[in-house]
Amino acid sequence: MMENAWLIPLFPLLSFLILLLFGKRLKEASAYVGILLTLASLVFSILVLFERFSEPTYSTKFDWLTIGDLHLTAGFEVNQLNALMLFIVSLVSFLVHTYSKGYMNGDERFPVFYAYLGLFTFAMLGLVISPNLLQTYIFWELVGVGSFLLIGFYYYKEEAKAAAKKAFIMTRIGDVGLFIGMILLFWETKSFEYSEIFAAVDAGAVSGTMITLTAILIFIGAVGKSGQFPLHTWLPDAMEGPTPVSALIHAATMVAAGVYLVAALFPLFAASKTALLTIAVIGAFTAIFAASIGLVQTDIKRVLAYSTVSQLGYMMLALGSAGYVAGVFHLMTHAFFKALLFLAAGSVIHAVHTQNIEEMGGLWKKLKLTGPLFLIGTLAISGVPGLSGFFSKDEILVAAWEGGHPILFFLALIAAFMTAFYMFRLFFLVFTGEARSEQKHVHESPNNMTYPMILLGVLAVIAGYVNTPWFGSFLGDWLVDGNPALGHGHVEGPIWIMIAATVVSLAGIYFAYLMYRKRSIARNTISGTGDTLHTILLNKYYVDEFYQLTVVAFTKGLSYFLRFIDVFLVEGLVKGVVGIVQGLGRTGSKMQTGQVQTYGAVAFFSLALLVVIFALTGGYLR
Amino acid sequence: MSSVPASAFLALALILFCIGLYGALTKRNTVIVLISIELMLNAVNINLVTFSKYGIAPSITGQVFALFAISVAAAEAAVGLAILISLYRTRKTVNIDEMDTMKN
Amino acid sequence: MTFSGEFLAFMGLALVALIGGVLLLNLTKVVHMVVALIFTFVAIAGIYVLLSAEFVASVQVLIYSGAITIIMLFGIMLTKHDDENEPKTGKLRKLLVFLGILGFAFAVYIGIYNFNVEQEQTALHENNTMQIGKALYSKYIIPFELTSVLLLAALVGSIILAKNEKKEADDE
Repeated sequence: MMENAWLIPLFPLLSFLILLLFGKRLKEASAYVGILLTLASLVFSILVLFERFSEPTYSTKFDWLTIGDLHLTAGFEVNQLNALMLFIVSLVSFLVHTYSKGYMNGDERFPVFYAYLGLFTFAMLGLVISPNLLQTYIFWELVGVGSFLLIGFYYYKEEAKAAAKKAFIMTRIGDVGLFIGMILLFWETKSFEYSEIFAAVDAGAVSGTMITLTAILIFIGAVGKSGQFPLHTWLPDAMEGPTPVSALIHAATMVAAGVYLVAALFPLFAASKTALLTIAVIGAFTAIFAASIGLVQTDIKRVLAYSTVSQLGYMMLALGSAGYVAGVFHLMTHAFFKALLFLAAGSVIHAVHTQNIEEMGGLWKKLKLTGPLFLIGTLAISGVPGLSGFFSKDEILVAAWEGGHPILFFLALIAAFMTAFYMFRLFFLVFTGEARSEQKHVHESPNNMTYPMILLGVLAVIAGYVNTPWFGSFLGDWLVDGNPALGHGHVEGPIWIMIAATVVSLAGIYFAYLMYRKRSIARNTISGTGDTLHTILLNKYYVDEFYQLTVVAFTKGLSYFLRFIDVFLVEGLVKGVVGIVQGLGRTGSKMQTGQVQTYGAVAFFSLALLVVIFALTGGYLR
Repeated sequence: MSSVPASAFLALALILFCIGLYGALTKRNTVIVLISIELMLNAVNINLVTFSKYGIAPSITGQVFALFAISVAAAEAAVGLAILISLYRTRKTVNIDEMDTMKN
Repeated sequence: MTFSGEFLAFMGLALVALIGGVLLLNLTKVVHMVVALIFTFVAIAGIYVLLSAEFVASVQVLIYSGAITIIMLFGIMLTKHDDENEPKTGKLRKLLVFLGILGFAFAVYIGIYNFNVEQEQTALHENNTMQIGKALYSKYIIPFELTSVLLLAALVGSIILAKNEKKEADDE
């Protein structure tokens, strides 16, 4: 089965092509094309995953380009991480495909939406089975294109257009880092292959400074894609896209690509303490930074977006603390419960047609299915014991503690508190109390929207049990199997960490309960509307404004300058050339007088010219 | 042997050829253009006859060839004039720069 | 170089031929031009004699100075409207053509200047007409016949082209 893993990305590509060609004719039926083909991907992924449990890594490649002694290869590899990612991506993609059937119903560009979904899924699946950096980079960019198209799907909305552009440009900034890092690595190791790069790093063929440099450059790429500080601002704006897209791109796949890249190149990062520390610090800072913004946002999807940024920071923190397993584990669980939350949020939006949580409330009774599912997701992300988020978050905290960063550990703990708080603030505001605005025709979503949520809900509950301190760390042992560079499958941490994590998250929930349910604590106890702190948080620390003033202003100035050059210099040159050519053409057409004599004169003159040149430069004289 | 070198004949032929060419390319009257072409042909004939006597392998062939050229030139002159006359009937002009139907 | 009789004859003939050519270019009346050219044709016939090609010379006098010139005069008379040949063609083109011809002449003159072949004793002047006749009817019989066909075709063609069809149509 593993040798056929290359088929998995091709199904969505096929879906993309079919919908591109026949989408107009298929109309609503195009959903079935997308769903069926992603289902095929999912089935294959599951088969591959199960086969990978018992068999060693399968990898194949063939020469793609040969330049002198250089052989650029293309191929695919199914190692543990890749198999797991295949499963996660194809599963979420399949569920989102199914969900969209209901959510996007009635949209006139319905087939286009499914085509874009197919393209994106193809890129993402291709990304996670790439065996070398170059191929990864190609799919990496394709993922960017896919997300650009999907975020800008409502292109007639100014905000969506701007958000799509912003997402594309911000991730591009990171991509430049990735590209430079990739080329530097190639320069040093003469190969794009992961295995050969790791071998070279292992053998000490690359100097320590160079490893640190390349690692950080590649990490910049991951920062862009995974929405880490300081390139995080695109992710909340990207919520302008359709909600299923948010679930697909901003929960399970694209933003996870950065984490995946760091995980896939983990041996490289592990070789540099500085690089690891950078990742950990950025991760921890992003976690608490985004969480604090999430405390005050009023748009349901934006809260989730900042929570995503924060959770991705968690993963980065785990990877930076050498907690490979913890990072990947959290990546998996987060994919499930965050996708669930996004889909549930989509279901809520579908029902009440607003995204402002201040206008919701009391939806628990009306959305009999969405409510409990949203609660499950909220509990999972808050780290309540027994659900998946608890186990993975615990792993990360242990990794941070054991990695020797007590400060980062406490930052992560505070972020965990905030996460629990703002997630339950969201939950209480949306589902409990009285409706704060007029809501007509509030109804539960159709089946093809609820079923994916139910499946994700189940996974959000049970996914943690594959790697627990109590029932054995099956996932961790499997992930690092045969690869000592990745660290241990399970790190036994002090028991108080688990207790602390539980206490912190329960405290967050209790706080939120008091403030937003019982209202025994006034909402403005710490900082009310209009206070400085509140304003700063509401404006996301003014990061966007800061960029606007510095980077954007500078770029604009430069652009104006360049435009000036373009208009007066380049265009002048072009016009000059055009003028010359036009003049020549006019002269030429004037010569077409129709008079034989003129033709003869011209022909003879040219002949004489040739003869003279011939006589002067040699010819029969020599 | 001969006091006049071959190159003198060739130079004369060259000058006549150039005069003919200039006339053919600049004169407006079609008859003069035709006559100029005859002059060019004559220059060529001088060359032929010269080489028949002073060439690397002198033989009568050059003269025979000149005869052929003269007869073909005569035929050309006749046909050319015939064309000229029929053209004149339709266009009422013999000016070569007014014959520009090739343009359309 | 000696001033032999042959040389003097050549110089004289060449002078006449060139004057005829220059007059062709510079005269204004078309008929005068044609007459100027007769001088050139006759002078060229003399050149042929110098080159021991008596038969070609006589043919030249007959065909060019006689037939072709007369045909041309006929042509002029049949079409004559503006006898004056006012130069209306562009100055630029004239200059360009002149320059081109100058360059061409220069290039060819280099070739002529370097042309140097051992002169051999030839027997072309002895029974010149008989030699040509023998060559024409033995070695060159097929081109000769083809030329006669060509002449016939030209004759028929000229008549058909020049024939006034309108008049004929009116007659019938």
